[in-house]
Amino acid sequence: MRLYHVALHEIGRRKTRTAYTASGIVISVALLVASIIVAIAGQKDIVLIINRYGHSLTIFPATSTETTLKGFGIGSGQYIPESALPAIREVYDSAIKSGWEARGGWVMEPGAPGGVELLQPATFAPRLYEETTIRDRHAVIAGVDPEAEYKSRFWWEVETGKLVSRPDEVMAGSVFGKITGVNLGDRVEINGHSLKLVGVLRETDSPDDYMIFGVLSTVQEIFGKQGLISMINVRAMCNYCPVGDAEVALNKTVVGVRATSQRELALAQHTIFRNVTNVILGFVALSFVIACMAMFNMVLGTIHGRLREIGLFKVLGASRGQLMRLFTYEAVMMGLLGGIVGYLLGYAMASWIAPWLIPGTTVEFTWWHPVLAVLAAITCSILATLYPAFFASRIRAAEAFRAL
Amino acid sequence: MSSNMIVQLIGVSKRYQTRWEIVNAIEEANLEICQDDYIAIMGPSGSGKTTLLNLLGGIDRPSGGELRLEGERIDTLGERALLEIRRHKIGFVFQEARLLPSLTAIENVLLPTVFWSARAGDETDRALELLDKVGITRRAHHLVHELSGGEAQRVCIARALLTTPRLVLADEPTGNLDYSTRTDIIALIERLLATRGGAIVIVTHDAEVAARAKRRFLMHEGRLIDATRIH
Repeated sequence: MRLYHVALHEIGRRKTRTAYTASGIVISVALLVASIIVAIAGQKDIVLIINRYGHSLTIFPATSTETTLKGFGIGSGQYIPESALPAIREVYDSAIKSGWEARGGWVMEPGAPGGVELLQPATFAPRLYEETTIRDRHAVIAGVDPEAEYKSRFWWEVETGKLVSRPDEVMAGSVFGKITGVNLGDRVEINGHSLKLVGVLRETDSPDDYMIFGVLSTVQEIFGKQGLISMINVRAMCNYCPVGDAEVALNKTVVGVRATSQRELALAQHTIFRNVTNVILGFVALSFVIACMAMFNMVLGTIHGRLREIGLFKVLGASRGQLMRLFTYEAVMMGLLGGIVGYLLGYAMASWIAPWLIPGTTVEFTWWHPVLAVLAAITCSILATLYPAFFASRIRAAEAFRAL
Repeated sequence: MSSNMIVQLIGVSKRYQTRWEIVNAIEEANLEICQDDYIAIMGPSGSGKTTLLNLLGGIDRPSGGELRLEGERIDTLGERALLEIRRHKIGFVFQEARLLPSLTAIENVLLPTVFWSARAGDETDRALELLDKVGITRRAHHLVHELSGGEAQRVCIARALLTTPRLVLADEPTGNLDYSTRTDIIALIERLLATRGGAIVIVTHDAEVAARAKRRFLMHEGRLIDATRIH
């Protein structure tokens, strides 16, 4: 028989007291786990937004109503001439390069011998939006440059069929497909032109779901808007490209267009979320301190009630170190118990809170969460037991014997 | 000094400082305990009986005089050395059995091995042998609450004998037992003493128990009086 067997038996015997003593730790660990899981789910959601849109720039014709119609930037009657694209690209590239260098980045000039172009050229995906009627329903058609569009909308997935690639083809957003009842292979009449539906996109939770897509040149021809586009999606091909610099440069330099970036907004949201998370974790830390203090009081009280037991151990030859170890083992076991129960409770709380706080989020199991929960609980438990154990070990054998 | 001398008290005294006064718990006590001694100490409450047991067991240190165990002075030893003495040379039996309720009878007998400095070998066979000697083998794996008062006291005696101590100190070992069980326990202690050697000191209020001892002492206001010849 070893000392930890004695500790284990004692813990087992004092089930109610153990549960009561560990309850503070259970609550603190549950709060810690729930906060971390929810925070990570929230951060992932924001990072997803940043990844999708954060490194992109949207360029509209400069008009005060560019985003008023259905939120698509459609119907303003303003267009950007396609011929302005090279100038826009030049301003954009120059701003990105100088911004990158200003932040200490290294730019390899294109074509340098043996070098690699660290800054990949951005993808410019022009779109022309027009309103039309398809099968007696009001519809928005977007003319796109397929190659650039698929790079820009890298998250697009086809539900059925394929992506549009030929001038006589169209592709439907998921909601558009359901509403109009168009099927793969159907001919769609647009302004007297018959186009073949070759694919339906999977839902993207964006305005794209309500549109139908054709090749840019075809849409320009159908609506008599040759050489004109409604907007340009610019996708920077690096995670840390200073898109904000390009936005400022375009708005200052190119007359007739207005560039907007969601990066700053997403980053601000990211910062707010991180700060709120830190504050919550601060409260959790405070709850750990309170749990430690409560446990300290309870263990100290328990030791006064266990004087006879301590006396017996002393009389049987227990050293101070052995008594300290006995109480520490009990603390570790209580911590282990508190950590496991607290983790399960925290996971359950997070599973309930996360989808409510961040719609569409699912809580995922990560191996280090239970490890962290158990370590935090054991540390708290040991800290709370340290002084009471020291106190118990210092009780003189004669005093303890008198208690028998 | 006789070669079978186990403990020797030479002019031992013990004083306590309370808030108001100095209490002389033991005054100039002289006692020699030899191999096979069976000593009973009687006296009213507060007369110093338990204090004397504490001194004999290395639980407390005397304020004056000399205390020798097997010829070696132990009143000057440090806590660590006294610990080793308590672990291996002294056995304790208490008024209430003082068993850990979370452990079985055999685990309680094995409890002292948990505190041994060197890694204890498997003492289970020895513990079973002792439980057999005290007559409760069939209760070896029962929890404490499943034992009667007499059975619990037998476990306590088996625990005290695990290390084959030179001296067994029993503080009112029959205090909470009925007449029949009390007689059984005392008979058991006497039988074990006769078979395994060593010495036993019993503190008791029970004149009948004391009368069975080879030597009897009376504690009165801190003084140890030889009462062997007093009837």
